[in-house]
Amino acid sequence: MSSAQIEIQLIASLVAIACAIPGTFLVLRKMAMISDAISHSILPGIVLGFFITQDLNSPLLIFLAALTGIVTVVLVEQIQKTGLVKEDTAIGLVFPALFSIGVILIAKNANDVHLDVDAVLLGELAFAPFDRMLLFGVDAGPKSLWIIGTILIITLILLFMFFKELKLSTFDSGLAASLGFSPVVVHYGLMTVSSVTTVGAFDAVGAILVVALMVAPAAAAYLLTSDLKKMLLLAILFGIFSAISGYWVAHWLDASIAGSITSMLGVLFLVVYLFAPNKGLIAVIYREKQQRIEVSLLTFLLHLKNHVELEERHVNHLNEHINWQNLRSKIVLDLALKNNMIEIDNNIVSLTEKGDLFTSQAIDYIITNEDTQIEDMKADFFLFRG
Amino acid sequence: MSKIAVKVDDLTVAYNYKPVLWDIDLEIPEGVLMAIVGPNGAGKSTLIKSILGILNPIAGSITIYGKSYAKQRSLVAYVPQKGSVDWDFPTTALDVVMMGTYGGLGWIKRPGQKEKKAALEALEKVGMLPFKNRQISQLSGGQQQRIFLARALVQDASIYFMDEPFQGVDATTEIAIINILKELRKASKTVVVVHHDLQTVPEYFDWVTFLNVKKIATGPVKDIFNDDNLTKTYGINYKVSIQK
Ligand SMILES: Nc1ncnc2c1ncn2[C@@H]1O[C@H](COP(=O)(O)OP(=O)(O)OP(=O)(O)O)[C@@H](O)[C@H]1O
Ligand SMILES: [Mg+2]
Repeated sequence: MSSAQIEIQLIASLVAIACAIPGTFLVLRKMAMISDAISHSILPGIVLGFFITQDLNSPLLIFLAALTGIVTVVLVEQIQKTGLVKEDTAIGLVFPALFSIGVILIAKNANDVHLDVDAVLLGELAFAPFDRMLLFGVDAGPKSLWIIGTILIITLILLFMFFKELKLSTFDSGLAASLGFSPVVVHYGLMTVSSVTTVGAFDAVGAILVVALMVAPAAAAYLLTSDLKKMLLLAILFGIFSAISGYWVAHWLDASIAGSITSMLGVLFLVVYLFAPNKGLIAVIYREKQQRIEVSLLTFLLHLKNHVELEERHVNHLNEHINWQNLRSKIVLDLALKNNMIEIDNNIVSLTEKGDLFTSQAIDYIITNEDTQIEDMKADFFLFRG
Repeated sequence: MSKIAVKVDDLTVAYNYKPVLWDIDLEIPEGVLMAIVGPNGAGKSTLIKSILGILNPIAGSITIYGKSYAKQRSLVAYVPQKGSVDWDFPTTALDVVMMGTYGGLGWIKRPGQKEKKAALEALEKVGMLPFKNRQISQLSGGQQQRIFLARALVQDASIYFMDEPFQGVDATTEIAIINILKELRKASKTVVVVHHDLQTVPEYFDWVTFLNVKKIATGPVKDIFNDDNLTKTYGINYKVSIQK
């Protein structure tokens, strides 16, 4: 690997981490769309900042652009507050307006601005290593690396300091307010971090990738864990994975790096969405099927428990009586046999001691919803897992 | 007459400039177990949220033991209406109860062993200890309500506001909750509960406030819980067979 290649992957990974952190909270607050709005509406801020500073990496430009991001959030909230439109409509009203102002500003001044709309939307990671940071005349690495590194460190410090406040106000803003943790302050803090991160990242990776890096890793992590800290960690890992694998895909296919990273994010989310152990699509379908069978099993066992008469317990009679198709009866019978819950003697089915106990406990559980006594059954049966 | 725990004067609250509470005056004496009753949309939740500083009123003043809420936060605990949080949030029962300790910690400081111990005790009290590591969406409605109650208990406050703690709970849980409320009152705490089941008001509570945009009446259950006030509050001719 050349040093430029390493630098590109490093920048992409840092951007991914810096995006995953606010992204996790945006996803949990169901505000993923707002990152889209911010990423587009910062354009006029960037253009104006560029007119003033003539330097895409100047802190003043980042400040001005981030301010446009905050203005977007405020505008969206004000429009929403009128009660005339919903949040998504308000977002749809605000960001095209601001974005188009940015586009017009660029078009009008095309001659003296080396900024174009494509670069804003898609960025160009491949060029990031060419713009170097000079410290006392010594090369100190790419400027983008310094910018995003600084933003990431600030984000991490804020996260460690205010994790509790972020969690509380995201989960229950009412309690947060009543305990004196102003949800408004936390909200605007998060919006500021999101805006600054977006501005700091867009030059390297473009507005679209910023949105994808904020939303996709967090959304995938959400499907895999029920612990906020693990969700943050997973989102970060997913972001890094997509950044690095995306870079190599782009390398092999000779394609746009930002585009490849976005595609990797899409693939990653799809895989998680399908295969996540609990909330994944396949797991959900499998669980539903399993639960259906287990309900059948229980119905069957209960029937046996309630009937001592031999004719009620004849294999053929069960088929007719419980009114199942043969396949289903066979699955249920096999399951019961496999678990030593029934014995079949001369085509007469009877409960074993274990089967009898299981039936009573299961019915008990279903009626009382008391949890403790069936902990050991949970491993084998879906029915008893939540 | 005992001390006044909460005093509300001329309170008017509006959403989008449409007032939903008009000119409310209310005094809640210390040590009572008070029900707030009124139809859906009467402004019961709004009243509680205003007292707790979650909403900003357009007029009026609210004091807790004579001082503003901001100064008395630590004296007040709150159980919100169940639908008000996202139950799919990635967090466990224990973690939610720990949130009750955050107020005592203030900004930045993190909960430690002491807070965890308090949370476990509160979980024990509401009978939810076996569920402490459950993701909260995997709890039944009644269990979720108990978690909220535990979170309020852990705040160790003097005044408890609870918005429909009996919503969607079975008879066992209802009795468990009311016993905890009665215990709180025995410890001279003040408990204010938004309640919908009019039949149980005389049995559970000693004070009642009738609310429907305006305050209809407030006072001891035995004096004012009658068909007249119920009719004024609910608009229809009310006939509950109240066992006095
Ligand atoms: N966030 C809001 N924005 C606008 N209007 C609101 C909002 N919250 C409540 N309202 C309105 O304010 C009025 C009072 O609502 P509130 O939630 O206080 O009623 P409630 O007495 O608690 O009702 P319920 O018994 O259904 O819980 C209702 O008409 C409601 O539609
Ligand atoms: Mg309410």
